[in-house]
Amino acid sequence: MKILVAIKQVPERDTQISIAADSRWIDENDLSYTINEPDAYALEEAFQLKEKNGGEVVVLCAGPERVTSTLREALAKGADRAIHIEADDLGERDTLGVAQLLADATKSESPDLILTGLQSDDLGLGQTGVVLAELLGIPHATIIMQVEVTGSGLKVKRELEDGWFQHVEMPLPALLTIQSGGNKLRYATLMGIKKAKTKETKTVQAATATTAQAITLERVYLPEKQKKTEMLTGTPAEVAAKLVEKLKFEVRAI
Amino acid sequence: MNGVLVLMEQRGGKWNRMSFEALSAGQQLAAKLGTECSAAVIGEGADTLAAELATKKLAKIFTVQHALLQTYTSDGYVAALEQLLKQAEPAYVLLPHTYQVRDFAPALATRFKQVLISDVIAIHDGPLFVRQLLQGKLNADYKHAGTGPCFVSVQAGTFRAEAVEAGTANVESFTPQLEASQIRNQPSEPFREAAQTVDLSAAPLIVSVGRGIGEQENIGIVQELAAALGAELAASRPICDNGWLPMERQVGSSGQTVSPKLYLAIGISGAIQHLVGMKGSKTIIAINKDENAPIFEVADYGVVGDLFEIVPALTKAVLAAKS
Amino acid sequence: MVAVARGTTVGARSMTAALIPGIHLSATLAEPAHFSRLEKISLLIGIAISLALFFWRFGPILRTILRSKKDTDFSLHPIGRRVWDFVWEVLCQGKVIRQRPLPGLAHAFVFWGFLAFALVSLNHIANAVGLGFLNPESYLSNFYFLFAAAWAVLVAVSITALFVRRFFVRPIWLGKKVSYESGVIAFLIFLLMVSYLGAFFVDTSGTAVKVLWWTHTLTLLVFLPLIPHTKHLHLVISPLTVFLKRDGFSKIPPLSGDEDFGLVAGNDVTQLISLQVYSCVECGRCTEHCPASNTGKVLNPKEIILGTRSYLNEFGPASETSLLTDTREVPSDDPAAKYMSMEAAFECTTCGSCEYQCPVGIQHLPIIIGLRRGATNTGAWEDTHGTKLFLALEKHGNALGMSAMERDKFIQKQAFPIFDGTQEYCLWLGCMGGYDAKGREIIADFARVMQYLGTTFGVLKKEKCTGDPARRLGNDLVFQTMAEFGLKAFETAKVQKIVAICPHCVRTISNDWREYGIAPEIEHHSEFMARHKDRLPQQNSGESIVYHDPCYLGRYRDVYEEPREIVAMAGELVEAPRSHERSFCCGAGGGLAFLGEESGERVSHVRAAELVGTGAQIVGTACPFCNTMFRDALATMGEAPPQLLDIAQLTARALPASEIKTGEQ
Repeated sequence: MKILVAIKQVPERDTQISIAADSRWIDENDLSYTINEPDAYALEEAFQLKEKNGGEVVVLCAGPERVTSTLREALAKGADRAIHIEADDLGERDTLGVAQLLADATKSESPDLILTGLQSDDLGLGQTGVVLAELLGIPHATIIMQVEVTGSGLKVKRELEDGWFQHVEMPLPALLTIQSGGNKLRYATLMGIKKAKTKETKTVQAATATTAQAITLERVYLPEKQKKTEMLTGTPAEVAAKLVEKLKFEVRAI
Repeated sequence: MNGVLVLMEQRGGKWNRMSFEALSAGQQLAAKLGTECSAAVIGEGADTLAAELATKKLAKIFTVQHALLQTYTSDGYVAALEQLLKQAEPAYVLLPHTYQVRDFAPALATRFKQVLISDVIAIHDGPLFVRQLLQGKLNADYKHAGTGPCFVSVQAGTFRAEAVEAGTANVESFTPQLEASQIRNQPSEPFREAAQTVDLSAAPLIVSVGRGIGEQENIGIVQELAAALGAELAASRPICDNGWLPMERQVGSSGQTVSPKLYLAIGISGAIQHLVGMKGSKTIIAINKDENAPIFEVADYGVVGDLFEIVPALTKAVLAAKS
Repeated sequence: MVAVARGTTVGARSMTAALIPGIHLSATLAEPAHFSRLEKISLLIGIAISLALFFWRFGPILRTILRSKKDTDFSLHPIGRRVWDFVWEVLCQGKVIRQRPLPGLAHAFVFWGFLAFALVSLNHIANAVGLGFLNPESYLSNFYFLFAAAWAVLVAVSITALFVRRFFVRPIWLGKKVSYESGVIAFLIFLLMVSYLGAFFVDTSGTAVKVLWWTHTLTLLVFLPLIPHTKHLHLVISPLTVFLKRDGFSKIPPLSGDEDFGLVAGNDVTQLISLQVYSCVECGRCTEHCPASNTGKVLNPKEIILGTRSYLNEFGPASETSLLTDTREVPSDDPAAKYMSMEAAFECTTCGSCEYQCPVGIQHLPIIIGLRRGATNTGAWEDTHGTKLFLALEKHGNALGMSAMERDKFIQKQAFPIFDGTQEYCLWLGCMGGYDAKGREIIADFARVMQYLGTTFGVLKKEKCTGDPARRLGNDLVFQTMAEFGLKAFETAKVQKIVAICPHCVRTISNDWREYGIAPEIEHHSEFMARHKDRLPQQNSGESIVYHDPCYLGRYRDVYEEPREIVAMAGELVEAPRSHERSFCCGAGGGLAFLGEESGERVSHVRAAELVGTGAQIVGTACPFCNTMFRDALATMGEAPPQLLDIAQLTARALPASEIKTGEQ
């Protein structure tokens, strides 16, 4: 089974961010990047499927030169090959544009299964996987907890809201977006890093964007309300009443 | 091409209550643009639900029905809604940002060479759609630049379902052309997991007790609060170390890592070993007698005071609110 | 007999006496005057057989050691230290005696007796073929015989005492299994001594002298082959082991080449490790002091050494069979398997008691950490908490998995200046000081002490973990990443001097980082404060304070007195039953603070109970990890547990209130 995992490189979750001069994105100087966490879970799912069913895991990532470090990490954790779509202008492409790049690179690979995280830590649009499936004309399922290879295709466990789940059977090739936290991630090892040096990374140049963007990011800014502890005071009964108010309308726990 | 169309979500004849938040957003956007708002209901039982919608201020209500739409599939919904949109030609398509919408809406937008502006938290003049980036660290204004319909999904709790304006509307039924062969996925009935002994990581509500409780026999008051809320009971390490509660209820670096909707920390000072296990919780409420306790650093709401007075009062208030 | 021995040492040549009628006492050693050809041939055959049996076992051992992997980092430098260790530990038996005074002294007598006997025994055999070089007639030789006789008495008494201890007193750390071979060896040694002493009581002619001579000779010939077949092999190789051991405590050797991931299989075992495991005398000192063994865990450092030895005997030094039994096929009823399991290897707190105690130069930590490296660097170690820790370090750069922004916020709140090259010290916060509530209190108090002294300091803008837990858990990838980040941060900021509150940080930066570069000079806050103690306020509260020696400050850095000086300034210093070099671990080291539930008793609880048992009002610590372990442990200890304070907090208590200016600078 050939599994292709589409991953994204994103700014590290806990870095201090500042807004770029043109207010259209954050200042990228001095920023550290890492694998998009939901994609790390998709990659882990791919490894486990390979361990169970055999085959090959290919990682695919679009972005500038710096994304090769993330691809190398994926190779170190166990991917067999990597494809780097070299593109410096991802900021000028919308989801459809990026998915088109991924679709172009995927076609020649014709994988049996494509996995990706359910959304990205930076933009969080949560669509690239579904759009990629649509562009490739293959079925998809989202927010997947478990994947089982059956005789005819796949049986997946999909997460619905409020603790509900659903099994879905689907033919291959297919695309799945994987829910975070379903698997236990593995740590990178020295042996993995050394092995990764011998693995192949193919670089393909991104085609120039031909169509205009359907949506544009106009401006980014810091949200006004930062998370702040609101101290509630009063007699025990007053405090209790205030807490119930919060539980009812803010937390919606009652 | 004009107007706003809201795609309402239902399952088995029951509304997803977020649909009305989307409907409210649709009405507001339409008002802003000086245009009309319509709605569509898809699937089995759409007629009954449409009757309810007929009392709202809407231009039109579409009931989209077909035998192949009885259970949700992305393929079925995308194909049916593509046909509806081609007929209705709305300028804006609004949806609630539910798991189901996340499953089909991106593909639907792709059919029109558009991109869904997902998980929107506000709509400003322009219209500009506000989304959160980098886990809420940043806000961003998005604008629709394409020539087709603009797809927008709205985040839960952003618009108020109560704000939906009343009025009257006509119901129009729409029957899409669907073939069984178009539907590639075969979903089974939704199910819930069999109850496990204690799985704190899946609990939506957690009441957690720490050393501030003093004695084992005092835990009862916290148990009562947890029961009143319908929450799982958890604890910090010293409580489990003492054997006052079983180890499986321990939250922290050597216990479970949890991220519930509500984490109510009672008498927990918030040592780092504990914080790492619960800092991902959506809302944290802390009750502690020490105003400098580090738990207040991560709490959304804090109460400085005697837990032996506050907890019983809270239990009483919760029970009163629920009855 | 004792009286005689005493008399003979005077050296009078033909002093005779008849203390007991009928027995002729002579101050001269009787040697057989004549050996028949048959006797000579029998002797030569006997020697040949004895030597053959000796080398039949010793040869393969030597080959195993020599064929083990070379220690690429080995260097004889510093030779002075090596010579000193040899003199002190081998010749003076310093370690043996210090750790167990009575049996140690008995052992030393046997050892020194053997040294004295070397010449006598050689002469004894040589006599048979007419090559004797010590003539009883000469003053000098006779004096030497009498000197040896004195030793013979001491050896005979000592070995009897040791025999009684082993077979009748039976201390638990010698193991449950009775070592009968030790009994045989003790008997042979006793026989050697008695047969030697006996020769002072007989004539040079007659059968008695012959019987004694042959008894002595045959005992020697039986003794020799027994050496390599038993733990008495240490007689031959441990002097070399002591001389050649790695320079430095818990010295983790660098990995060599692209195929080295630590101790995965036999072919990773180096010559030094081979030599060390064959030197083990099974005395159990390592087990006696091990916090894991003492709290009912699987880990037993002695069994790790013996397990490695059994492995080498069974598979050899070129084998690719894994060393740890978890990853190799072993019969489930093999009791030794559990000792060489991953579970055991990952229960080590790296407190270093074992390595510190070992009298024959075995360095346990490079072996145990080597086994962990083999498991972690290859990904064979799968542990939920371990993985969580490594991912936290990979992603957040701190062991607690906190957002680096939390550290920024703390620095802002405390108004700590960022190090910019104008300050004297770089104050290293560490994971505990930067993220943990209690660690932050300690850092804040130490900062006040520095401010009081007028010492300028700044903190690094960005700081990651030193990699200590990753290092000790065998994750070289994470460790290297952390070390390189830290070295670069110091270099960029042009730091000259560092001070830290955490002994783990101090050790790792000053010592372990050397694999990747040289860090600026670093010291522990106890050293800094002790140096400035004359300028610190003396305000002895009179409270009793029991000081707990952190492993990474004591055994790892040899700092024992400085923190005590600080404690003594604040109150009455009380010593715990186990202190200084013998201090008992808090359970946090070796990455174990992050590994979740322990099996058996908690190390921290055992130690905390010991500290509470002193009746002290305050427990004084000098390590934020010890502090956090005791914080949890003391909480479970009854009504009014003692207060828990770091030495920085003890000092800060005495500062005038006006000095409390943190946050308003």
